[in-house]
Amino acid sequence: MVKFEKNEIRVGLFILIPGIILLIFTTLKLGYSIASSTIDIYLKIDSLTSVKKGTPVKIKGYTIGRVVELKPVYKPTLHFLATMRIEREIELYENCSAVILNQNVIGDPAIEIKNPEKKGEALINHDIIEGIEYVNLEAVLQDVHLLLSTLTGTVNMFKDITIDSRNNLRVLVSDLSVSVRKLKEILDDSQKDIVTLLSSFRQTSEVMTEISKEFKKNPMKFLFEGKK
Amino acid sequence: MNLNLKLASLVGKKVISYWEGIVNFRDFCVSIIRSFHSMKYLRFRSIYRVIINQTKFTGIDTLPFIILISMMIGGTIIIQSITQFPKFGIEGFIGNLLVIVVARELGPLATGLIVITRSGSAIAAEIATQTQNKEILSLEIMGIDPMLYIVFPRIIAAVISLFSLMILFDVVAFFGGYIISQMTVSIPIDVFFQTLLDAFSLNDLIATLLKSVSYGILIPIICCYYGLKPTSKFEVPIYVSKAVTRTLFTIFIINALISVFFYL
Repeated sequence: MVKFEKNEIRVGLFILIPGIILLIFTTLKLGYSIASSTIDIYLKIDSLTSVKKGTPVKIKGYTIGRVVELKPVYKPTLHFLATMRIEREIELYENCSAVILNQNVIGDPAIEIKNPEKKGEALINHDIIEGIEYVNLEAVLQDVHLLLSTLTGTVNMFKDITIDSRNNLRVLVSDLSVSVRKLKEILDDSQKDIVTLLSSFRQTSEVMTEISKEFKKNPMKFLFEGKK
Repeated sequence: MNLNLKLASLVGKKVISYWEGIVNFRDFCVSIIRSFHSMKYLRFRSIYRVIINQTKFTGIDTLPFIILISMMIGGTIIIQSITQFPKFGIEGFIGNLLVIVVARELGPLATGLIVITRSGSAIAAEIATQTQNKEILSLEIMGIDPMLYIVFPRIIAAVISLFSLMILFDVVAFFGGYIISQMTVSIPIDVFFQTLLDAFSLNDLIATLLKSVSYGILIPIICCYYGLKPTSKFEVPIYVSKAVTRTLFTIFIINALISVFFYL
């Protein structure tokens, strides 16, 4: 057996370790993998209410993998990374969309992946995609509840407005009747005064008639009477 | 007129001196290449020990400095980027910055500088001392080509050492950067290294390898050239100093040229 000195072993390791690192890097960079027939893609999600371990990952309804791990990421804000183990043969592209859907009324979720029309770079192991839509039964129920409460509020507000309006109308009608009565009284009072006024006019006209007659008979006397 | 003549003669003297230096260096390189003709007479086992010792001295003994410096450089870059990048909304590009700064430029350059200051000066001083002690002359008298026995193993050792050191520098700088980044931002290790892997292209790898090979050839050649120059023992420090400064100058030029060739 060949014996190596300490320095020879050190130099050997010094050459081998960077060489292995370089080889691994080149292999990974060229897209080769010594791993199994699956790749792990991370799905970035805001909430864990629907996605769980085992959630199927589908493309056009066909199951291509499952969620195998869920990890919280605390910074910069709390979010989660769901590790989706997907068949390597399936080609997914970096600008694909991942929609979290409910499969049935019970609310079993599934992650539906849609490849983009314009294909970008293919997703490789440990790439991250973002869950762009998040729909589950609980969320739908919450939305319906919110809608109903808003509707109830609107109806109550309309009712309040109607009650207020009715009161206002009642006050208005009573005010109107008072006003009519007052107008009637004014008219009644005015009628008496008109008769008196007309009789006064008649008397005045009679006096004026007498004066005119007198003036016609003796104009000079009328003018100078009482001057002497 | 007299002053002008003096100035012109001074400039001319300098230019001729530089030109002579370039011609001498070219002759030295040609003599190394010519010495490869007598490679068939060289037994590998005769230079094996020199290669091992030189690789140990240039590579393995330099490793603690490289690890320390690369970790600090990686950490510094990450600290700066973590504090400054969020202001511009580009905090997702930390991996790219590490690749651009460390792997492309700083890694090869810092490794080259450390090797020059540590091993380059040692090579120049060692060969200068051997020249003064007539050891080189003795080799020539014995019919051994000093270019093959002295320069060639040092070139091989420097290429191996610089190649390994540059890769280790990058790897340690990335790890240092990752450890520092964990203090402020929580990034999963696989995500961080995936970002690095995405940012690091094969072009970067080829550029780094080319730099390691070119530095590995140039550093020992320039240092050996100046090591063989002294004619008296008093000239040894002068030529050692010259070897270091000229090698540094050459390394910066080569680094700039490779970067221009690959990235412009």
